[in-house]
Amino acid sequence: MSTPRGPRPGAFPPNYNPDTLAGNLQNLRINQSNWQQSNNAGVSGAPRTSNALPFGQQPPPFAAGQSRPPPPGVFQRVPAPPVAPGQSTLRPDVMPARPTGPTPVSQPPPFASRPPPPGVLPSSIGGSAAPPYSAIAPRPGLSGSPTPPQMSSNGPAGIGPPAFAPRMMQSGSRPPPPMGNAPRLSVGPVQSPTMLSSQASSQPLQTRPGFGSPPAVSSSVGQPGPPFSTFPQGPMFSGSSNMPPPPGSLSFPPAHQGTVQSWPQQPPQVGPSHPTPGAMQQQQRIFGMPPGPPPFPNQSMALGQTVLSQADPNHIPRYSSSSAVILYETRTDNRANPPPPTTSTYIVKDNGNCSPRYMRCTLNQVPCTVDLLSTSAMQLALLVQPLALPHPSEEPIHVVDFGESGPVRCSRCKGYINPFVKFIDQGRRFICNLCGFTDETPREYHCNMGSDGRRTDADERPELCRGTVEFIASKEYMLRDPMPAVFFFLVDVSMHAIHSGATAAACSAISQVIPDLPEGPRTMVGIATFDSSIHFYNLKRAMQQPLMLIVPDVQDVYTPLESDVVVQLSECRQHLEILLDCIPRMFENNRTTDSAFGAAAKAAFLAMKNTGGKLLVFQSILPSTGMGSLSAREAEGRSNMSDGEKEPHKLLQPVDKTLKTMAIEFAEYQVCVDLFITTQTYVDIASLSVVPRTTGGQVYYYYPFSALSDLAKLSNDLRWNVTRPQGFEAVMRVRCSQGIQVQEYSGNFCKRIPTDVDLPAIDCDKTIMVSLKHDDKLQEESECAFQCALLYTTVYGQRRIRVSTLSLPCTNMLTSLFIAADLDTQFSCILKHAADEMPSAPLAQVRDKATNVCINILHSYSKFCATRSSSGLLMMPEALKFLPLYTLALLKSNGLRSDGRIDDRSFWLNYVSPLPTPFVIPLVYPRMIAIHDLEAKELEDSIIPAIIPLSVKYISDEGIYLLENGVDCLIYIGTSVEQNVLTQIFGISSVEEISNQFILEQYDNQLSKKLNAILNEIRRERCSYLRLKFCKNGDSSGTMFLSNMVEDHMPSGAAYTDFVAYIHNQIQKKMT
Amino acid sequence: MAAPELAQTDPEGIEGVRMTWLNWPRSKVEASKCVIPIAASIQPIRPHVDLQILPYTPLRCKTCSAVLNPFCRVDFTALIWICPFCFQRNHFPHHYSSISQTNLPAELYPNFPSVEYLIPNYQNPQNFNPAVTSSPIYLFVLDTCMIEEELEFAKSALKRAIGMLPENAMVGFVSYGTQVQVHELGFSEMSKVYVFRGSKDISKDQVLEQLGLAVQGSRRAGPGMQKSGGGPSPVAGAGAGPNTGINRFLLPASECEYTLNSLLDELVTDQWPIAPGNRALRCTGVALSVATGLLGASTAGTGARMIALVGGPCTEGPGSIVSKDLSDPVRSHKDLDKDAAPFFKKAVHFYDELGKQLVSQGHVLDVFASALDQVGIAEMKVAIEKTGGLVVLAESFGHSVFKDSFKRIFEVGEQSLGLAFNGTLEVNCSKDIKVQGIIGPCTSLEKKGPAVASTVIGQGNTTAWKMCGLDKSSCLTVFFDVSSSEKSDPAGPSPQLYIQFLTSYQSSDGQMRLRVTTVTRRWVVGSEDLVQGFDQEVAAVVMARLASYKMEMEEGFDATRWLDRNLIRLCSKFGEYRKDDPASFTLNSCFSLFPQFMFNLRRSQFVQVFNNSPDETAYFRILLNRETISNAVVMIQPSLISYAFNSLPAPALLDVQSIAADRILLLDSYFSVVIFHGMTIAQWRNMGYQNQPEHQGFAMLLQAPQEDSQLIIRDRFPVPRLVVCDQHGSQARFLLAKLNPSATYSNAQEMMHTGSDVIFTDDVSLQVFIDHLQRLAVQAS
Repeated sequence: MSTPRGPRPGAFPPNYNPDTLAGNLQNLRINQSNWQQSNNAGVSGAPRTSNALPFGQQPPPFAAGQSRPPPPGVFQRVPAPPVAPGQSTLRPDVMPARPTGPTPVSQPPPFASRPPPPGVLPSSIGGSAAPPYSAIAPRPGLSGSPTPPQMSSNGPAGIGPPAFAPRMMQSGSRPPPPMGNAPRLSVGPVQSPTMLSSQASSQPLQTRPGFGSPPAVSSSVGQPGPPFSTFPQGPMFSGSSNMPPPPGSLSFPPAHQGTVQSWPQQPPQVGPSHPTPGAMQQQQRIFGMPPGPPPFPNQSMALGQTVLSQADPNHIPRYSSSSAVILYETRTDNRANPPPPTTSTYIVKDNGNCSPRYMRCTLNQVPCTVDLLSTSAMQLALLVQPLALPHPSEEPIHVVDFGESGPVRCSRCKGYINPFVKFIDQGRRFICNLCGFTDETPREYHCNMGSDGRRTDADERPELCRGTVEFIASKEYMLRDPMPAVFFFLVDVSMHAIHSGATAAACSAISQVIPDLPEGPRTMVGIATFDSSIHFYNLKRAMQQPLMLIVPDVQDVYTPLESDVVVQLSECRQHLEILLDCIPRMFENNRTTDSAFGAAAKAAFLAMKNTGGKLLVFQSILPSTGMGSLSAREAEGRSNMSDGEKEPHKLLQPVDKTLKTMAIEFAEYQVCVDLFITTQTYVDIASLSVVPRTTGGQVYYYYPFSALSDLAKLSNDLRWNVTRPQGFEAVMRVRCSQGIQVQEYSGNFCKRIPTDVDLPAIDCDKTIMVSLKHDDKLQEESECAFQCALLYTTVYGQRRIRVSTLSLPCTNMLTSLFIAADLDTQFSCILKHAADEMPSAPLAQVRDKATNVCINILHSYSKFCATRSSSGLLMMPEALKFLPLYTLALLKSNGLRSDGRIDDRSFWLNYVSPLPTPFVIPLVYPRMIAIHDLEAKELEDSIIPAIIPLSVKYISDEGIYLLENGVDCLIYIGTSVEQNVLTQIFGISSVEEISNQFILEQYDNQLSKKLNAILNEIRRERCSYLRLKFCKNGDSSGTMFLSNMVEDHMPSGAAYTDFVAYIHNQIQKKMT
Repeated sequence: MAAPELAQTDPEGIEGVRMTWLNWPRSKVEASKCVIPIAASIQPIRPHVDLQILPYTPLRCKTCSAVLNPFCRVDFTALIWICPFCFQRNHFPHHYSSISQTNLPAELYPNFPSVEYLIPNYQNPQNFNPAVTSSPIYLFVLDTCMIEEELEFAKSALKRAIGMLPENAMVGFVSYGTQVQVHELGFSEMSKVYVFRGSKDISKDQVLEQLGLAVQGSRRAGPGMQKSGGGPSPVAGAGAGPNTGINRFLLPASECEYTLNSLLDELVTDQWPIAPGNRALRCTGVALSVATGLLGASTAGTGARMIALVGGPCTEGPGSIVSKDLSDPVRSHKDLDKDAAPFFKKAVHFYDELGKQLVSQGHVLDVFASALDQVGIAEMKVAIEKTGGLVVLAESFGHSVFKDSFKRIFEVGEQSLGLAFNGTLEVNCSKDIKVQGIIGPCTSLEKKGPAVASTVIGQGNTTAWKMCGLDKSSCLTVFFDVSSSEKSDPAGPSPQLYIQFLTSYQSSDGQMRLRVTTVTRRWVVGSEDLVQGFDQEVAAVVMARLASYKMEMEEGFDATRWLDRNLIRLCSKFGEYRKDDPASFTLNSCFSLFPQFMFNLRRSQFVQVFNNSPDETAYFRILLNRETISNAVVMIQPSLISYAFNSLPAPALLDVQSIAADRILLLDSYFSVVIFHGMTIAQWRNMGYQNQPEHQGFAMLLQAPQEDSQLIIRDRFPVPRLVVCDQHGSQARFLLAKLNPSATYSNAQEMMHTGSDVIFTDDVSLQVFIDHLQRLAVQAS
């Protein structure tokens, strides 16, 4: 959410000047009052027109206010894209910004509505779309309007309106019509909430004060709200079925939620009710919190600031989604644009900085000094996901081949050539932007400088104009020939695995995935099974069936053949299929209960040691024999309460170093282990997971495993595991500009030397957190660059270096820092740090720490930045307004709950470690939607319906709800659901017929089809075939479902409102 | 060769016992003066037409447990028999009540000194499970570190062998190279193999556990296992009863023949890479160890043979005999002498332990080694001998020496080797006789008793021995000592001495039998009787065995000098001569051949080891120790038969002078059979005269030695190497090496006969040897 604002900053661009920032800041300080006003204005930005600062929240005002804002926003956005390409980033920024949060909604509509753009937009946002827009006045206006202030007030509005106005009108003339139309009404309410947020956000935009208010507003999260709301509202969507990109993006602003919900729900209700969530509103009222008050304070806030009165649930920020696609340019006017929220759908135009998918920073402006950073209580870290999946519409990464000589690099720090390297001396030399060293330009790379101080070929050379490029690695980057793609499957066939059907499931999954393995002679496969001994199979045989080779010595293992255990896929396909078919039958009567996981993994490792590769292990029980065997510590802990209670967190640590040592050896030989745990008992994930974690793999956990319902997920997980974009034998290093250095990497990898991260395998789903620290002061006007270089081998055997560079402005202003804070990234860091600490610290301590981070940040803000802190009001930077909510959700998550099973918690810790930023928030704050009334809703442009806040208040007995967090998908069936609905969705007549092993099928009716479509869309978004569970009120499954209602009071944490109150109290205590 | 003894067709008789001295000196001093030790060569289960098979249990003496025999004094009225060994009076049991002077049970017939009892339930001394009538086990252990061609030969030999096995024989298969692969033949889904690492020594318990054969609930765990304390019931193992799992690995031949054949078809040479300049990694030691462990899971007391086909030296893991680096040659005798064989002692120790393990299980190790290089028989010898295993050394698995020998062990009927299992030999002897030990394929059971001598030769310190494997030609040399002092009155209680050999064994058809052989000899005083009772063949063989034994056991033992000295002492004692007058020297006919035997023994491969590799020497010695006297004599002094026109085939002197251009010679040196064509014969043959009808006689002449050689080959195990050569041909050396060099380059002029030959050697001829002997014998000592 905050991100959008970022863009605003971009908006600054108009101002270009670094001054702007300073100016802004100053302004901020100086004119706090003004600011406030402006903010207010801005907030209500739209409002201004209507003047209804207060409105913000109130529906009526919105309508009016909003209507205005939207247009501007729209325009700007539109224009921006066009502009974006070359020059004034401003527009573009604006564009993206708006889209981000709520905007998306709004935007889409615009496109949609406007015939021409729609098509264009999706494909090449900037390009095609741009022209038309560019044509639009806005630019000039924008560019022309350097003076922020003005802009803020009029600029946006003025600019936008003129040009657009007509269009808008045409399309659906949001502003006016909305009001009139019922849908709009709905909008209205929505907006109001948005307004709140928007205000906050807009303020952040502060960027240009000027813009801030108007354009900024729109762009800024908060504002987006309004614009969107307007557009989005019924009419928009319905009208704009075109919306190409399925709105998958979530917009944080609670407002949105409100908006979103609002549509589905009856507008009327909403309207009156108010701001936030339509549904909510009513209830909110109940809470009695004066809706009015909050807004005001907000308004008063100069910067994007969210003010909460403790008790008002209505105004508590809530997570919401928007389905619009955001167009995001990474830089505008040679300034970095803050990235859109991770959960939104956005399309990146890389024009200097890398896409936020690959790398994003917790702060979009880098504090110049340690002191500044520590004052803010925030942390500086990068979240790097080097192989992240791009949006299909994004430009593919350029592959650059420097031939024998390899890519140009700084001779001192070995940083790679990037757009921020400065060529001097007619291009004969260049200054490294990372270490500041001056290097000779290699002769063959020399090029004349243009008048603008750039090389004349800068735009033709991807490495000089793109934030992310891929270099073909030359010989010096290879210790050996690039390794083949090796897949080794290791399947548990002990008695439990056989009986539970896990073996059969694994075999069937493997067999299904074989056709998906990369074609060609470079793909090698191997398979082994194990119980208390290890069974290899020689697949390379001319005759008859495969040969089973048993390695019985599980204390000291070895590989039974030098070759032929790992064979080219093309040579053994048939044997493999026969074998997979045969394994479950062959071990049908296996009475061995022991499992030698460690030994088996080691043996498989030895078999693939020469090449390295992926080792996919299917494990069903606690490894009880052979090297690295484990014991049921959990049970021991229980029986021996005194020990167990003393240090229960010890159970989250690996029991000993055996597996770790083994894993390090695996990593050394480029073997990556993925662990599929299909179990019904405790398996000590804490110990087992060390192996995948160290080798760049991951753990998949199916508990309690059901052969019936988990088969599909298992196959899909496996398929995605082997087919997703990935690389082998990788090494990664992050370099930073002078003054900053990497403190620590964390994620799933092996670290042998402090500077590098060794990744036997890396895929698009792996994120590495890079904590940074200052070792010097930064210059305020400079930019600080981060460069992540990943050397890896592609599945097809090419050695490449993917280099992503991110250059961010430095700041000395605390306020800027808060404005530039990236909530998603910040929260990811908090979450990951908490997960890292879990095994070594008592739970209470970890929980306290997480809470304190939240308190400290907000405290710092209240103390140093908030314009006015009236007691009773909680001041929050707009960018971080969801921090308390997420923190609370974190405290209630599986990992930080004390009542969870040890394995569940271990798995959670483990899952979180490499978790990409976009999945972090859904993990703690799952997405819930109602599915019983799908039919009634007309959601043509968004497959996924509105999100419902996580509270029982929104759950009705007649309803069926779907809740997903990227791992599990719970379907909750109320007690009195209409039989008709049950029949349509599940093909049953009563709730009782649902068992734990129930499988969701698609029936021939709209409801069922829609539900399946939604599920598929969620799966696509999450890159995961969620584990579907059915929950019924009244039994344990229902309890499980309800435990996800993080806004409600539960044993593991307070209700949201209470929590906010607590935070507020704590801050106040600190202030005094 | 024409000695009267040799003419005797069956010197062993029904007893199967031959002694160096037919009559025994009465005292220890006298015995030592005899020079040639008192020893008996026995063939414990030698078949004989007159042998009686008695389908009941024998009667045993209450005190010394000797078995009732013809030399017992029987009181038919009192139904009492007196044990000749301890003089204990024993009552006949009730079912013997009807015996009388005229109604004797077979075991009392004086002309049946050997009888065999067929016992359904014989408890042998080691308390092995009595209920063993299970079928014998054949566990094949195949080396796969060979070139493909060799492996094909070995595989086809195996396939043929499997086809020849009795249907109920249990069969198992282990292949190995760098690692050991135990094939689970009873797994129907696919070929299933347990793989053991070749570099790691592994105990029997570990083998059993890892093969899933461990007794349930017993220590499952290696070091790391304790950790699994709380794990889900570690006890719930596999399989129902103990050892039922063995059926997965050992199957009746009839059931697994197809599996084995297809398995062999698919078997390829070892795939582990061999670094350039290195030997293949071959883990013979571990393979045998694993196979031993596997057999250990079979029911105790079941006869089992582990038949190893080895294609090269062990280089990996315990039992290695040489480094992997090809530039290090396999140890030679010289290295062993100089203690420059770093692997030797360790390997010998390893195989010794392996042998002990096998003996305790009652199983046999057979080794069929086929390689141009040595494979480590010298190290494995101890295990092979202790278990009574067979060994065959050949150059290739395609060679008839291997192929035909290998086939022989599976043959049944007349050609059968009569392989038996689980033999135990016990010796009872009269007072004053002590047993020093046995040289031959057996292991001491350490059964102490009054008859155990303090000095030990071979497997001693016992009166009972284990023979895991034995066959009808198995032969043991028992060394006796006379303990009585001069005082014990010469008349004694009895002028006769008695020795009883009790051999219990499991015959090849699974029956338990007990062969009881009781012999009696006479105590004598004075050399005259001794001289008459001297068996020079046995003496020669015993000396050869003893010399070999001492060469192995005694550091720096000089066999030549020892033999010379003994020969001289013997001649001094028993020759007739005037002092210091060599010309007056004569020897009794009973000794006449002995000096020549010694002469040839001194030149034989047993003493002149430096002409052979340690493996070959070990091989020769194993056979020397286990073969019958007549075969052993041939090893020491080959037989030579001459074929010529106009005369019958006749024995010829083992002398270079027997070579003639118009003769064909047939040399049998046991390990090889040489047909040697004189020059003229060879020319004629090359011109094809034998194909012309008018020269049918020539054809027959050529044919005759061929047929005779086939006779020899057919009966012999291991199959000898047949060498057909011509005078002056390169292969002629096989003959020349064995001949007395009466004609050498030094006396070539004078010795020139027509068509004869000379031998290029510095060795002395027999004549020179005898001359010296006479001179030394007559010298006053």
